[in-house]
Amino acid sequence: MNGLTFSYPDSPARTLTDVTLSIEPGERVVVLGGSGSGKSTLLRTLTGLVPHFHGGRFAGRVEIDGRDTRRERPADLAGTVACVFQDPEDQIVMTRVEAEVAFGLENLGTPPDAIAGLVRRALASVGAEHLVERRTSELSGGELQRVCLAAALALAPRLLLLDEPTSQVDPGGATAFFELLGDLPCAVVCAEQRPARALEWAERVLFLDGGRLELDAPVDEALDWLRAHRPAFLPRVPAVPSEPAFGPAVCRLDGVSYEGRVGETSLAVGRGEIVALVGPNGSGKTTLAKLAAGLLEPSTGGVELRGRAAYLSQDPGRYLVRERVEDEVALGSDGDLARARAALASVGLGGHERRHPRDLSSGERERLGLACVLVTKPDLLVLDEPTRGVDPERKDRLAELLRAGRDGRATLVLTHDLVFAGEVADRLFSLDEVREPALA
Amino acid sequence: MSPAPAAALLAALGAAALLADRSAPPAAIALVLLVVCLRAKTPRRWVYLAGALLMSGSVLVLSPFLQSAGSHVLWSGPIVPVLGSLDVTREELAMAALQASRLAALSLAFTAYALLLDHDRLVQAAGFARRSTLAVALATRLLPTLERDAVGMLEALRGRGVALSGVRGRATLVSPLLAGSLERGLNLAEAMEARGYGRPGATRLPKARHNAWDAAALVAAVVVLVVGVLWL
Repeated sequence: MNGLTFSYPDSPARTLTDVTLSIEPGERVVVLGGSGSGKSTLLRTLTGLVPHFHGGRFAGRVEIDGRDTRRERPADLAGTVACVFQDPEDQIVMTRVEAEVAFGLENLGTPPDAIAGLVRRALASVGAEHLVERRTSELSGGELQRVCLAAALALAPRLLLLDEPTSQVDPGGATAFFELLGDLPCAVVCAEQRPARALEWAERVLFLDGGRLELDAPVDEALDWLRAHRPAFLPRVPAVPSEPAFGPAVCRLDGVSYEGRVGETSLAVGRGEIVALVGPNGSGKTTLAKLAAGLLEPSTGGVELRGRAAYLSQDPGRYLVRERVEDEVALGSDGDLARARAALASVGLGGHERRHPRDLSSGERERLGLACVLVTKPDLLVLDEPTRGVDPERKDRLAELLRAGRDGRATLVLTHDLVFAGEVADRLFSLDEVREPALA
Repeated sequence: MSPAPAAALLAALGAAALLADRSAPPAAIALVLLVVCLRAKTPRRWVYLAGALLMSGSVLVLSPFLQSAGSHVLWSGPIVPVLGSLDVTREELAMAALQASRLAALSLAFTAYALLLDHDRLVQAAGFARRSTLAVALATRLLPTLERDAVGMLEALRGRGVALSGVRGRATLVSPLLAGSLERGLNLAEAMEARGYGRPGATRLPKARHNAWDAAALVAAVVVLVVGVLWL
């Protein structure tokens, strides 16, 4: 990649500016940077999707295995390059796992008799051979991620690109994922927002800021640079908060269960308290949170809620319904635009009031979702994975924001991010029984 | 049974229902298809079945008031501007029953296709129109995806203390749902291109061998079609 400068159509700002780098065979590279710094765009330039799929203004040169991406279409580069995007649900084409992994092989013209064997080998390499006959719609997030990785590896690429591959999986799943990447024979470039495991796995670190490549160095050197310039991106040991329970309880769950997804569980969250609800994928965190917020009725047990609850779902950017950012937030303030703007400013979205919500980046949409619930001034605030796709510096600011406004409410935060949990919460509540409904 | 012969049989049943000029044959076809659809184990079947029955029921109830045919008047209603006389005749009722049973049979055939067939194997079996078959298979996923997004959207709004009620309230979700599905479509198209879709020389997984049930289904499809053309 030589002197690459790129901006998306209709965007006056450059997403990437004068980026020059080269990736050697077999290298393991992690790309760090804040939300909107250009990480995903950088990966898309390496697949040829930028500029062919997205359009825009493109200057400089990108060569993959000696082939110029301005002349070769992404479909022609497939096989040499393979990519796993951020949200596995949005890249699933077929309804069965075998057909999904075979899809790329078929497109590359693999001899039909060889396809089934390659599919099974790729699934086995990511520990997912048992899923071969399953429907993709029945898989958990972690399983889908493995299937997407298998679909990419089946092509035997020389360059594998991963865009925040562990954003939806629990710490155990994330560790297992990076262990899988350790033995791959190809070069791997991985963009990540949870840097600890990625920095352990990688040999080299790229750091993007505002579309500029600020750092390109081996890991040891990169750690020194991060310590001096961007300490939020350094690996951190999760703190284990253990403050005693606050009183009086705003929300009390007393021996609740729900349709086999949550076993009998009791939990109380007091006013002024922040509780982090942690546990592996499939342990019932989201169901328990919905029970606490009154969105579900328990099968057994009781829920006592004093006051009004607000619940921020996972991936709130999908559920935006208005044409302007401020109108979206004002839905929760009975149309009071002044309150809506104040809530937007509190999450760092001041100045974006008149934009269309779907024009925001994924990290900005997450913050818009947060503003939508904060504006309701709830007695119980429930946040389901609020740090997904959020960079470490924003996570620190989110923790500060939640702690600053804690006194008037009880807060329940569901998260896989134990570092964030340690920084924001007074107390951890763990649902550590591993249950994967899809495997049952 | 393999999906391609099953799809052919469903298409033949739909065609026979359209060819019929009396309401009994398409009603019988609809009944058979209803029984088949009820075998689907997914809870989504109720969404499809409710849609099919609502559409055909609406045609049955409304179309006699919107037509002016026949001379055997069963009920004389007022004259309404634009629509004219709201009389209901025996001929209009017969026509409404025919149209409703045709629509029921067609929508239930689609329901069976959407819920019971393996669309991947259908795509693999498509010898000459793989792109079109893949497009149809992806479009078939639109309805369940929209349904899931609508549920998620309503829940997200409830979580923000916003309750949407009534048809008008829920209608405000149509535009964001469509915008969301367009976004998903773009993401999927991007992922497909990155995986080599559209490259010349594509191959496919070997097809499963046809068995006796497949042959029987193909024969039945031809028989149903011939019966539809000649006798229904």
